[in-house]
Amino acid sequence: MPKHILSGLNYLAAITLRREGYLQKDIAKWLGMDRSTVSHYINGRNISLDSIETAETISKFCPHDFLQMTNVLTKDTGKTRIIVKTLMKRKFNPKIKDSCIGCGLCVDTCLMKAAELNNLKAQIDSNWCCGCRMCESRCPTNSIEILEV
Amino acid sequence: MVTNIKATEDKNVSIKREAEEKRELCFKDEKCIGCGICEQICPLEAIELGPVGAIVRGEVDASKISIDENKCVLCGMCSVVCPVEALDLIIDGKQIKEIEEYPKLIRSITPEYDYCVYCGACDTVCPQDAIKVMRQLPERAKLVTGEIEVDKDKCISCGMCEDMCPAEAIYLVKNIPTSSNFEIASDIVVDKDKCVYCGICKRICPEDAIKVVCKVCPYGEYEIEEAEVKGDLILNEDLCVNCGWCQETCPKDVFVVEKPFEGELIIDQEACQGCKTCIEVCPCNVLSFPKPSEPGEIADKLYKDEKYCIYCGACQNVCPVSAIEVKRSGMNITPIKSKAWQKAVESLKETLHKPKTKAESGGK
Repeated sequence: MPKHILSGLNYLAAITLRREGYLQKDIAKWLGMDRSTVSHYINGRNISLDSIETAETISKFCPHDFLQMTNVLTKDTGKTRIIVKTLMKRKFNPKIKDSCIGCGLCVDTCLMKAAELNNLKAQIDSNWCCGCRMCESRCPTNSIEILEV
Repeated sequence: MVTNIKATEDKNVSIKREAEEKRELCFKDEKCIGCGICEQICPLEAIELGPVGAIVRGEVDASKISIDENKCVLCGMCSVVCPVEALDLIIDGKQIKEIEEYPKLIRSITPEYDYCVYCGACDTVCPQDAIKVMRQLPERAKLVTGEIEVDKDKCISCGMCEDMCPAEAIYLVKNIPTSSNFEIASDIVVDKDKCVYCGICKRICPEDAIKVVCKVCPYGEYEIEEAEVKGDLILNEDLCVNCGWCQETCPKDVFVVEKPFEGELIIDQEACQGCKTCIEVCPCNVLSFPKPSEPGEIADKLYKDEKYCIYCGACQNVCPVSAIEVKRSGMNITPIKSKAWQKAVESLKETLHKPKTKAESGGK
């Protein structure tokens, strides 16, 4: 079954990306699929409605669970971040306080690769932040605040 | 979840975290001076200073600090402020002192090798044995010139010349007299490589058997080659603690030393019980027990020469009666952009008189 749920997620991500104007070729590359599968998805074929429904439900989980569930299905953080970024409807604004010591734990924790260090201070890219708050809970100095926009 | 992996080898510790970046904190106990600056700056209280006093007195064999791998987040603050590089944070194979973003403690020793005359003073005073002076002196015989002649017919083998010669250059070849050969010496020999033509043998000889002429004095030094001293000044910067003993002692201004901290060292003579632990722990030989210059004089219990102090605070930490206070007033550090780091470094200026650990106070 996990395979079917993953197809559902891939399907949702593929049609969303196509709708956003990306090329089939790029979509196939990002999601690690062959182009014919992407083409089938976009034309509404080869996918069960149950899988799509399950995938839709997962994508509406709290960001942390959506991210973890996706990651466990794809077993590939590269694909995970594309699916989550594409299907995440909520927007988050990460704030880093001056108490950040630049230990890099958030960088190591963030599956979305949204965090990086700059001059010994964390920086989180709001375009990639999925709001899972794993960095917030890991931060040893409580310097991260993820606010929903 | 990303976790730290700790490895210990003898008294050295390494803590590793491998994920997006590879971070590794390495502690080398043999470099550690037990100052406790790392403990003071650690934002997560992951470092605890060991029983340094007992360790330097040889009562306990342990690592000078311990690091809790469950608290350490490998931020690198300890590594930046360690005045002896006993702690090193390595990120993706690069030491943070080579990474531009991280501040660096400014401390240095710069020898001007060309000025050195190989007197060896620095070698003698360096408290860390970080300096070695090796020299090759010219042959003594090449720096003197003269003539010496012994009239063996006049010589009565009394041996006074041998006894008096300051260079041990003249000697009798002794002989045990027998009925067939009654001489007490078979020969008198002058070793021209040792003779400096001082003329003492000539003056002591009761029989005027020796003639000596030193050619240097009457004719000047033109016949003699320059006395050239060759040598090597070897500095091991890994051992140097920038105390400045060499700079102060060198008569030729070979060394320029930059110290990491500025401050003040305050000793409470009343409180001091003379246990000597501070003297043992000080990496810079700043402290000593003075000897009274005349009988009956009461000298200070503990003498300091603050010129050599690097304000590391090790003495303060080991003092069992809080008789020493180290006030750090300045840090020689490169500019810091991060507010949290600025604050942490600034906090090293606060004096911390912490309650002693159990081991430190002798388990009481």
